[in-house]
Amino acid sequence: MKTIHIFILFLVMVLVQLFVPAKMIFDRENVLEAGVTYKFKTQPVDPNDPFRGKYITLNYEMDSAKTNDTTWEQGETILVYLEKDGLGFARVHSVSKEQKSTDRDYVKATVSWNYGNSNTVNFELPFDRFYMEESKAKPAEDIYRKYNRQGNNKSETYALVAVKNGKAVLKDVYINDKPITYYIERDNE
Amino acid sequence: MKSKLLNDISELLENNIISQEVATNITAYYKSKEDSQPNRLFTVFGVLGATLVGLGIILILAHNWDNLSRLIKTVLAFIPLVIAQLVSGYSIYKEKSQVWKESSGTFLFFAIGASIALVSQIYNIPGDLGSFLFTWIVLALPLIYLLNSKAVSILIVVFASYYACELGYDFGYQNKTPWLYLVFVIATLPFYLKLLKTSPLANSTSIFNWLYTISFTVVLGAFISSNWPVGFLMYAMLFGVFYNLGKLPIYKNQQLRRNSFTVVGSLGAVVLLIILSFNIVWDEILVLASIAMYTQEMLLATVLFVLAFMILLYTKKKEKVESFNLFQYVFLIVAIIFFIGIANAIAATVLTNILLLVIGLSAIKIGADTFRFSVLNYGLLIVTSVIVCRFFDIDIGFEVKGLLFVAVGFGFFLTNYIMLKRKKELNR
Repeated sequence: MKTIHIFILFLVMVLVQLFVPAKMIFDRENVLEAGVTYKFKTQPVDPNDPFRGKYITLNYEMDSAKTNDTTWEQGETILVYLEKDGLGFARVHSVSKEQKSTDRDYVKATVSWNYGNSNTVNFELPFDRFYMEESKAKPAEDIYRKYNRQGNNKSETYALVAVKNGKAVLKDVYINDKPITYYIERDNE
Repeated sequence: MKSKLLNDISELLENNIISQEVATNITAYYKSKEDSQPNRLFTVFGVLGATLVGLGIILILAHNWDNLSRLIKTVLAFIPLVIAQLVSGYSIYKEKSQVWKESSGTFLFFAIGASIALVSQIYNIPGDLGSFLFTWIVLALPLIYLLNSKAVSILIVVFASYYACELGYDFGYQNKTPWLYLVFVIATLPFYLKLLKTSPLANSTSIFNWLYTISFTVVLGAFISSNWPVGFLMYAMLFGVFYNLGKLPIYKNQQLRRNSFTVVGSLGAVVLLIILSFNIVWDEILVLASIAMYTQEMLLATVLFVLAFMILLYTKKKEKVESFNLFQYVFLIVAIIFFIGIANAIAATVLTNILLLVIGLSAIKIGADTFRFSVLNYGLLIVTSVIVCRFFDIDIGFEVKGLLFVAVGFGFFLTNYIMLKRKKELNR
């Protein structure tokens, strides 16, 4: 093969290599800008990724739905249609295997368990990683514990998630009405 | 050039052992060989440097600089990638040396990782390490062929193995089978085959030999999901493939340190057989193994069996002088024993022990016939390990055990001594 041919192939590859991260960015920017923001109640724990750094894993309170369908299988994609409660927190409206003809927002989740006759399907929401500056991930977990230990029922930890056309982007994690980083920085001072 | 060699040549010349012409030829040969030497050293350092810089960038970005704005971070995600692409493009376009291509390719490999890592970090993109590695490998794979790069090829195989382990050895409820590992590795094979064709004796090619053997050995376990007892059969077949590959004309006459297939195939089979020589293992296999063909474990074992068998037939056909090497048939025998073991654990245990002893003895015989101490002692070691292992299951008195140990130790000494003596006599 001639150099010029290799070079042309190389250029194609360069475009793909640039396109993939760019597409990742554009998709998310679009959801962030045009999507509807929901609050998902959650609790964080802190693990580690060798390439992408520290993050907190978010375990969501909203992890199951009532359904009459008993054919859900583990690992299957489940569309979770959303509604907001009086305080703006996300709640399951309904679940479905296929897209419904409605304007209602939905997110794609994964079925984690189905007890068959209990009329309940359990699922995992996909946006379960929140990347943080390496010194802040562990304190984030501690701060969550601290605010929930006080027996203060008003203290709510939740993730702010933008949703559009089934795509979801995790924006930030909040305790009450402040980002979790606010508490970490305040405690450090 | 090495001064020792020069001295030798002049000495040979003075004593009229070689002619002036031969001396010039030898000098010229070594001179030309030496000219390519610093190039190779450069490549190694270039690749090492690029690896360190690339990993460094990934680590710096992993810190997560949360006081930078999203826009700045997004731009930062592309800077290393674009720089690496420019350098790689330049080295292709200007037809730069291999040093350029290897180093820039390595750097581009890590820049891709850095870029998608940072983007996932900025937007909290979900997905575990497995899916991240998958994207990375797919984006970097063409570099092997476009830059003709050994370093990138090595990195792809290493990262594909990492990906497979991440997916397959996750003993959580989401234990997946890393089928795509096979696709990645097969995609690197044309490059390896080309290396085998152009430079089968190069050090870099032997690195690839080892890389593939180790990768397959480590990753095969990731393909075991629930039917784990058949895993023994899978590994036995894999080692059969390795050993018979090692007997192919292209590898056969290479030194053992290059021929990873023979080494891993033989050692792996022996270790596996030692494990299988314990009756408790067969008891478990008897109860738990499913030999239903639709289980992925049985399917893979069958594929590996067919592969090993075909390579065996091929080598036998190519052989000019008929020779019998028991090691080449071990996978066949183990397969038979395995199916006996499904029905009768005791019979399988006894047969495994007999097989191990016979293998050991045949290695001793090969070693004695060819005067190779390494093979002789390897055989002795196999026999010894069978005896030692049986001490654990069979209830006999300490004094008998002690006597047996002394006898085995004496056997080692005696066999080596006898062979040394015979070798000396023969030399005389």
